[in-house]
Parts: sequence; C-alpha cells; structure tokens
Amino acid sequence: MGLVAIATAKFLGSFSVFLFLTVLLMVVARRISTSVLLFSLQSAIITAEVFAMGVREKLAAAYVVGALVLLIKVIAIPYAFFRLVDRLKSPRDVKASTTPTQSVFIAGAMIYLSYAAVHSFGQTVHVPEDALAAAVALILTGSFLMVSRKKALMQMLGLLVLENGIFLAALITTFGMPLVIEIGIFFDILVGLLLMGIFTFRIRDTFDHLDVSKLRRLRG
Amino acid sequence: MTTAINVLQALLLILGAPLVTGIVGKIKAAIQRRQGASIWRPYAEIAKLFRKEDLVPPSASWVFRFAPKVLFATAVCAVAFVPVLQPSALLGSRGDFFFLVYLLALGRFFLSLGALDGGSAFGGMGASRDALISTLAEAPFLLGLVAVSIMSAHADIPGIVMWTLQRNVFDISAVHILAFTSLAMVVLAETGRMPVDNPTTHLELTMIHEGMVLEYSGPSLALVEWASAIKLHAMLALLISLFGPWGMASTVSVWGIAAALLLYLAKLTALMILLALVESVVAKLRMYLVPDFLGVASAVSALAVIFTTLVKR
Amino acid sequence: MQVVSIQVAFGFLLASLGLLAPLVLIASRTKRVRAFAIALIVGSNVVGCFVAGLCFWGESKLALSFSRFTPFPFALALDKLSAFFLLLICAVTVPVALFAAAYFDRHYDGQRCKWAWAFSSLFLLSMIVVVTASTGFAFLVGWELMTLVSAGLILMEGDSSERRHNVFVYLLMMHAGAAAVVASFFLFLPYSHSLDFAGIRAAGAVVPAGTRVVIFLLAFVGFGTKAGIIPLHLWLPRAHPIAPSPVSALMSGVMLKTAVYGFVRFAFDFLAGGPSWFGYVVLVAGAVSGLLGVLYAIAEHDLKRLLAYHSVENIGIIYLGLGTSLVFLANHAPVLAALALIAALLHTFNHALFKSLLFLGAGAISNATHTVDLEELGGLQRRMPVTGTAFLIGCCSIVGLPLFNGFISEWLTFRSFLAGSVLMSTKAQIVLPLMVGVLALIGGLAAACFVKVFGVAFLGRPRSREAENAVEAPRLMRGGMTMLAAACLLIGILPGILLRPLASLTQVLIPGAGVPDEIVSIARIIPWIAAIILGVTALTALFRRVQRMAPTWGCGLSQLTSRMQYTSTAFSKPIRFVFSSVYKPDRTLDKLPADDPYFPVSISYRSVRTTSYEKALYRPFVDRILSLAHQLRRLQTGNIQVYLLYIFLTLVALLAFLRFQR
Repeated sequence: MGLVAIATAKFLGSFSVFLFLTVLLMVVARRISTSVLLFSLQSAIITAEVFAMGVREKLAAAYVVGALVLLIKVIAIPYAFFRLVDRLKSPRDVKASTTPTQSVFIAGAMIYLSYAAVHSFGQTVHVPEDALAAAVALILTGSFLMVSRKKALMQMLGLLVLENGIFLAALITTFGMPLVIEIGIFFDILVGLLLMGIFTFRIRDTFDHLDVSKLRRLRG
Repeated sequence: MTTAINVLQALLLILGAPLVTGIVGKIKAAIQRRQGASIWRPYAEIAKLFRKEDLVPPSASWVFRFAPKVLFATAVCAVAFVPVLQPSALLGSRGDFFFLVYLLALGRFFLSLGALDGGSAFGGMGASRDALISTLAEAPFLLGLVAVSIMSAHADIPGIVMWTLQRNVFDISAVHILAFTSLAMVVLAETGRMPVDNPTTHLELTMIHEGMVLEYSGPSLALVEWASAIKLHAMLALLISLFGPWGMASTVSVWGIAAALLLYLAKLTALMILLALVESVVAKLRMYLVPDFLGVASAVSALAVIFTTLVKR
Repeated sequence: MQVVSIQVAFGFLLASLGLLAPLVLIASRTKRVRAFAIALIVGSNVVGCFVAGLCFWGESKLALSFSRFTPFPFALALDKLSAFFLLLICAVTVPVALFAAAYFDRHYDGQRCKWAWAFSSLFLLSMIVVVTASTGFAFLVGWELMTLVSAGLILMEGDSSERRHNVFVYLLMMHAGAAAVVASFFLFLPYSHSLDFAGIRAAGAVVPAGTRVVIFLLAFVGFGTKAGIIPLHLWLPRAHPIAPSPVSALMSGVMLKTAVYGFVRFAFDFLAGGPSWFGYVVLVAGAVSGLLGVLYAIAEHDLKRLLAYHSVENIGIIYLGLGTSLVFLANHAPVLAALALIAALLHTFNHALFKSLLFLGAGAISNATHTVDLEELGGLQRRMPVTGTAFLIGCCSIVGLPLFNGFISEWLTFRSFLAGSVLMSTKAQIVLPLMVGVLALIGGLAAACFVKVFGVAFLGRPRSREAENAVEAPRLMRGGMTMLAAACLLIGILPGILLRPLASLTQVLIPGAGVPDEIVSIARIIPWIAAIILGVTALTALFRRVQRMAPTWGCGLSQLTSRMQYTSTAFSKPIRFVFSSVYKPDRTLDKLPADDPYFPVSISYRSVRTTSYEKALYRPFVDRILSLAHQLRRLQTGNIQVYLLYIFLTLVALLAFLRFQR
C-alpha cells in the first residue's frame, strides 16, 4: 500500500510534464489519426490523475468519474473519430496553417503564458502550480488547434482538448466536482459531438470537401 | 587511478564504436526479418580497408588526403570529454561541452572541404546538404546541453553527471524531458541516421554523409568510417551519462567499475534498440523537410532553456 | 628613463607616419627612395608594437601633449585600453604593409603608387591618433582624418561614376556617425568643462540619468555607423570591396576596431555602464547584425563583398559580448562583466588578425587571376600552396574552430552567456542562455559559408583559364600572410598570452572585477586538445599506404569538366532556400524568342538580391530631407535686397534678445 501511495504522490507531482509533452506533440502532428491518438493519451493521463486523486483524498466519486472519463474520452470518442475518418474518406492531412517550427514556438509561448497567469494568482489560491498551468495550457492549445487547423474534424478535436483543459482545471481547484455536474458536462459534450458529426457529413456532401477556411458565407 | 579509468573509458568508446554500428545493423536486420551481417563485420571492414591502397583524384590537394585524419583525430579527442564508467572524463573542465560540439564541427568542416576537393558533383552535393544540416543542428545541440547545465548549476559534463547521480530518477523535470527530446533529434541529425540521412545507401538522391565520402578509399575510408562510428558511440554515451547515469562507479574499485560497465552496456543496448526501431519505422525525410525537423528540435531546446526559469532548481 | 624612451619611440612612430614617410614618398623619384619610405613605415610600426607591448603587458604609461601647437587641447596618452588597440593596429599593419609593398608595385604605376603609400601612411597615423587620443579634439581630428584619407584611397583605384557614388554614400554615412559622436562628446561639456578624457571620466559620475541615456544612444548610433551594425551598415559592402586589398584589410581589420574602441571608451570608461536595457539594446543589435551579416554573406559570390558582410557579422559577435558585459554590470556582477568584456576585446583582436589575412588572401588571388568572383576560381590550392594554406588558417579562425584564435573568443562569449543563468533577473536568465543558440547558429552559418569559399576557390578543378594559369604570390605577399596565419595559430593554442593582460585591463575598466577563472581553464585545456589532435593526426599520417591516382568517380562518364562541379551559388542554395524570408531577390526570366515560348532558343535568368533597408528605411528618410531642403531653398531668392533684409532682421532679433534677457 505504501508503494501505491508513493507512486501516486510522484505521479501527481510530475504528470503535468507529460501533458506538456502531449501539447507539443499535438501541435506538430501532421495526421488526424496521430492527433486523435495523442488526445486519447492525454485523456488517459487525466484519468490516471483522477484515480490518483481518488486514492489520495479517498473519494469514491472520483473512481466513478475516472471510469467515465476512461470509457468516453479514452475509448469511445477516439474510436468514433477513427470511424468518422474512415467513412469520410477525406485526406488524412491535418492542413495546418503554421509550419511545425512556428507551432512549437507558439505552443511554448502558450505554456509560458499559462505559467505566468497561474503564478499571478497562485498566491491566493492554494493549488499545485504545475498542474493548473497544464490545464490552462490545454485550454489554449485547444483554441490554437481550432484556429490553425483547417479540417473540420480538427475543430472538433480542438474543442475536446479545450474541454479536457477545463475539466482538469475544475478537478484541481475543487478536488472533484459533484458527480451530477460531471455527468451533465459529459452529456453536453456527447450531444455536441453528435451534432458536429452530423454536420460534418452535411458539409462534405454539400461542398465536397472539409476545408473550413473555404466556408465564408457567415456574413450579413 | 582516476586517470587510468578515464583512459579506459576513452579506449572503450573508440574501440567499441564499430561494434555499436554492427549491433544496430543486426537489430535493424532482425526487424526487417533478415539475418543481416555479423555484429563484428565493421571491424573486418575497417581492417580490410587498411590493407588496401589509397585512390586519390588527380585534382586533389593535400586537404583531400588530410581531411580523414583530422576527422578521426577530432572524433578521438571528442571522446575524451564523455564520462562512461565514472563521473569524470579525461578533459572534463568547466565549459567543456562547447569544446565537444566545436571539435565535432572541426572534423565536419574538413570533411566537407575534402568532399569539394574531389571535384565531382557528388562531393559538392553532399557537402552543401551537410552544411545545411550541421548549421541547423548546432543551435539545438548547444541549447539542450545549456539547459541541462543550468538545471544542475554545473558547467562541465562530469559535474552534471554528479548532480544527476544525486537525484532520484522519478524526479523527472520538464527541462530534462525537453532537453532529451531535442538532443535525441540532434543525435539523429549529427550522426547521419534516419530520418535525416540514410547511412546504408549510396544513391545520390538520398545521401548526405555518404556523398561526402564517395571519393575516399583504403585507409582514408577506414578512418572516415571509424570516425563516424566513434561519433555515434560518443553521442549515445553522452545521452546516457547526462540523462541516465545511475550505476556509475563513485569509488574506484574493480567491482564498482565492472558493475558500471555492465550497467552501461545494458543502457547502451536499450538505446541501440530504440535507434534501430526509429530507423526502421520512420521514413527518411525529404531534404527540405529536415529544416522543419531541426526547427522543432531548436524550438524544443529553446523551451527547455526557458523552462529552467520556471522549474524550481 | 624608461618613460622618456617610450615617449621618444612613440614620437618617432607618429613623426615617421605623419611627416617623414609622406614627405619622402611625395618627393621620391626612384623606387629605392620609395622602398626606404616603406621600410620606414614598417619599422616605425614595429617600434609601435614594442611601445604598445610595454604598456599592455607591462605597467608603463605614456602621455604626450601637443597643445602648444594647436588651437584646442591635443594630447595623446596610452593607458591599457589604448595600448591594446595600438598593439592591434601596429601588429596588423606590419604584415599588411609587407604585402602592400609587393601589391601596390604590381597594381599601380609609379606616380599613383607613391600617393597610395603616402595616403596609407596618413591613414595609419589617423587611426593611431584615434585610439591614443586623450582629449576630445584629438579624437575627433583623428576620426575625421580616417574617413577622408580612406575615401581618398578608395578613389585611387579608379574614377567611375559608380565608384564615386559608393564613396559618396560612404562619406555621407561616416559624417552622420561623426556628428552623433561629436554630439555625445559635447553633451559632457556642461559637467566637465573641457573635453579632456580625465575630465569626462570624472564628469561621468555626475551626469544626470536622462542625459546619460542620450549620450549612450548617440554614442551607440555614432560608433555603430562606423562599426557597421545593421541597419547602419550600408556603406560596408559598398566601400570595402572597391578598395585595393591591403587597404580593405586595414579598413575591415583595423578601422572598424576604432569604432569598437570608441564605444568601449564611452560605455565602460566614461559612463561606467548604465541600466540593464543599455546592455539589451547592444545585445539585440549584435544578434541581428551577426545573423543578417552572415546570411547576406552566404548569398555572395564576390569574395570581397562576402568578406565585408562577414565583418558585419563579427562586429555583431563583438557587440554580443559588449552587451552581455553591460547587462552583467547593471546586475552587479563585475567578475562576469569582466569575462564578457575580455571575450569581446579578444574577438576584436582576433578579427583584426584573421580578417586582414582573408583580405590579403583575396588580394593575392586577384593579383594572380585578376578576379575575385568565386565562380571563376578553383583549384588554386595546388597552384598557390602557401597562399592557400594561409587562407585556410584564416577560414578556420573566422569560423571559430578549436586550435585557432576565433574559437577562444567565441568560447569565452559562450561561457559568459551561460553564466547569465546565475543572475537574479528573470529576463537575463532567459535572454542570455538563449543567445547561446543565436551565436551557435551564426557560427554554423559561418562554417557553411567558408566551406563554400575555400572549397570553391581553392579546391577542385579550375573553372576558368585565369585560374588555371595562376601562379604563387610573390615572396613579400606570402610573408605577410604567413605572419598573420602564424599569429592566429599562436593565439589559438596559447591564448594565455593575450588573456592575462586583458584580465588586468578589465580590472581597470570594471572596478571590483577579479580574474575570471575561465581564462585559466581554457589556457590549460587548449594545449592538451592541440596535443591530442596533432598527435593522432601524426600517428595516422605515419601509416603510409600506396597512393594511386585515379580519376574522380563520374557515374560512368569519362570526361568530367570543371563545369560539373558545384558552384558557389549552388552550394549556398539549400541555406538560401531555408532562410528565403531574409532574401527577397528580384528575379527576371527571359525566354528568346518571346513570341514562340515553347521552342526557346535561349533562356536567361537573372536574380539580383537587394537589401530591403534602402527601400524601406533609407529612401523615405532621404526623400523627406530632400523635400525639406527643397522648401528651404525658397529662402534663396537671389534678390540682394532680400538678403539685406535677412541681415537687418537678424540684427533686430539680436537686439530684442538682449533687451528681453534682463
């Protein structure tokens, strides 16, 4: 039991490092499947974080939430994505609008920004700085992915990464939200994804491509 | 006694280098479901080349004949900076990793000159592409080493190793992960391995290092091949000593050194397997995508340096 | 006694360069008299080396005053800093003068030759006056003389309109810089009441902060124009390539260093550092100059223009060291500031040595083949072995490879960047180590460039008839280049010779600085590295095997021509492609005949690289000044009564001013 405690303590202290790695890898990934795999890995790390917190705080609800995250974000959603990519038969390229070097620099700037932001209110709230900075960095990365990737599927993925970040931030600051709210958020996400999936097919059928930068009729 | 161990380290790196190349080739062959050449083949090759005659193009000057010797000499000198069995090296001193990088640059400089001296388009092409790659690889190399040096508050490689020995392997810091990533990418570029360059091909479309040495034969080629092997071995040993030195002998004793040697061989084998995997799985990058690859390495190493201010030391 | 003899020796140096040699030269009719004057110049510089050496390695000091003969105070003095730069000037001049003795003979006819030598002598005198001046007046006189005489030397080469335009741009920018320098001197006047350096130094403590900022910026811009920092460098690639090679060597090797001397005097001696943003400004200027300088150099295939751009790059490296030192000073780390300053000063000396060597090599090449276009050269190493080897040593030094002198100063600069991580300020902790990456990139690009230069010019097969028929340079030229090459190797292997006195120099400039122990450690390690490399190389050279000539592998083709080799443009293409946002060439592609594009008879492709500074920065500025001048022209009506009116109005204004001043 002591070993588990040590392992969880070490993990809780250093998991943000791995999240930063997934952030960096995600911004340079060139294929949709790679990005989805990285998202799945990210969610797995967050699941482990949830379980570790459950062990440390001895909360039963944490195990339920962890199981939910595992089921939905690590297994179901990536699986759905792979199915979607197969059925859409569109090119697997991510269509980034920044070169890999620029992306890494932007990711670095985002990580630095999140650390700076967390540091400024880290004095008032008693939270582990690394973990919260990782959460903010995930939020920024999700937004960056949505902005700089022209494939509609990547917009969905960006939203999911964003939601990962929000979830992590909530987890750290409140030591686990009430279960009802968690489930509510999950259902929101599920419905949103379902709608986005349907719309992706409609876009592809109408325009014969999934390049979001070419959809410019959103004007008055 | 410490000096004797340091000399032993240097000899191990120099004499064991062809074996490293042989083992990596054997693992790659295993992945490709071939039998592959024996792991002792590079030794036989070097010995065979030393027995042959030296062919020199008529337009060549002394630079052509001199370049392989300088390349070999700088590779030999570079191994004097890398600790293997104990946290000390022959020429370890404050600021020594700059020496290491620039000694390798000296060897590469003369090799490029020798390539141009051949007077053929292959040499020019190899030298020109190699100039691009080595230019872009120097910054991430130095920045990665600087990041690690700042974290350990030591400016010499033995000092960094001693600091790392005192830390726990589970206290992974973001700086070390970032520095390892960028240094691993640089090692691939500097030693001419996939995905940057294919060390086994002699087609002009795909060769960079091989293009530069096309004109060499006999003892000169033996020196060049050996020097490349030494470079690979030294860089792998450097990665091991900077990022995973646990097991190095802290006291000079026969059992301690023997244990350190066994542990080093185990870690080296792990790295060689990883290298062979990467070489077999990843396709060679198109020439003008290599700057992107090295640009990512530069950005990651710059991030590592910036992170040294964020992570508590 | 020793003081008197030093004064006599120094006076001899000044007199022979300023009076004796020019007069003898102008009056000379025969070659023998001219040779005597040249020997006088060389001899007096050797004396100058001794004088400087005594003051730099020893503890001597020197002060000479000519104020009795001049309207404003004119005095010269040798403290350690001036002695260092005097040593630089004299040590570089001796080999360059030896080279020029053979070069000018072949290059000019008798009349022009003696005038060229007379001007060169005055040029040397002006530079010596600048670095040894101890009053503002002396400094500015020397400064102005440097510009005028060097312009004269450039015009000696020829009189074409393009040349005159380039000299015009050179004079214009030099005078703009000089104006800034004059202004920065004069801003000290209210506090020091004289332009004596001692007085200015004392006044530096009481100058208010706002004025310090202005003085610093004016000195930075003024000396930066002379040194060639981007974007004030436009005159460098125009002026240096068109001067004769020994003069280019002096201009690039020595004249730029006087600007560094001036800036060091102002920033470290007079102002004694400042807030840390001073250092960051210098650091950024150095980084930009270094990177852009070497990127522009890589794209060149005119050897002398390439070397001129490399001067911009090396000045950038020097400024990196100076900026780091200022940052350390502002953060109260005097030992580290001393380290960075030593690095910058050593690089100044090293650059003087290897840049002169490279320019002399270019002169030897142009003497043998009448061209400095890399695309026309090739295979020169076999035809000019001594020149080639000396040039190779110069290339290795400028790239900063170990065992050569450039490495020592770059290593020291790297160490000072690394040391930035121990400071308290987060900005320094981030910026300074990141500069390691910038300097590494600059060094890598320089290596690529010089592989191209040496490989295309000296190795392989000759690309033109002239290159095929090249002969080795005459003895004096070889001697000059060998001296510089030997100096590069000596400092590269035994750097302690210069490092120890530089450490005591910085102890004077930066109070509280000890001797940084990096000085000791590198002086200890480098001989070992040299021993190992030379030992292993000798060992492998002993292993002799039969050597047989065999034709170069041509993929089955039997006749390989020299056109099948890589050209300079081809070699640099990958790098130019990757950094294409820096180069914006104007490309034109013409296919003949124009009306039948699918069956072209000939295709011509032209790519001209223009730097964007002229269009974006200078053109609007110049246009505005011209339009302002145009408007002021309206005052010049030509009517005499209007002019009398101006005089009358001035009189009235003066009287009113007197009246209302009470």
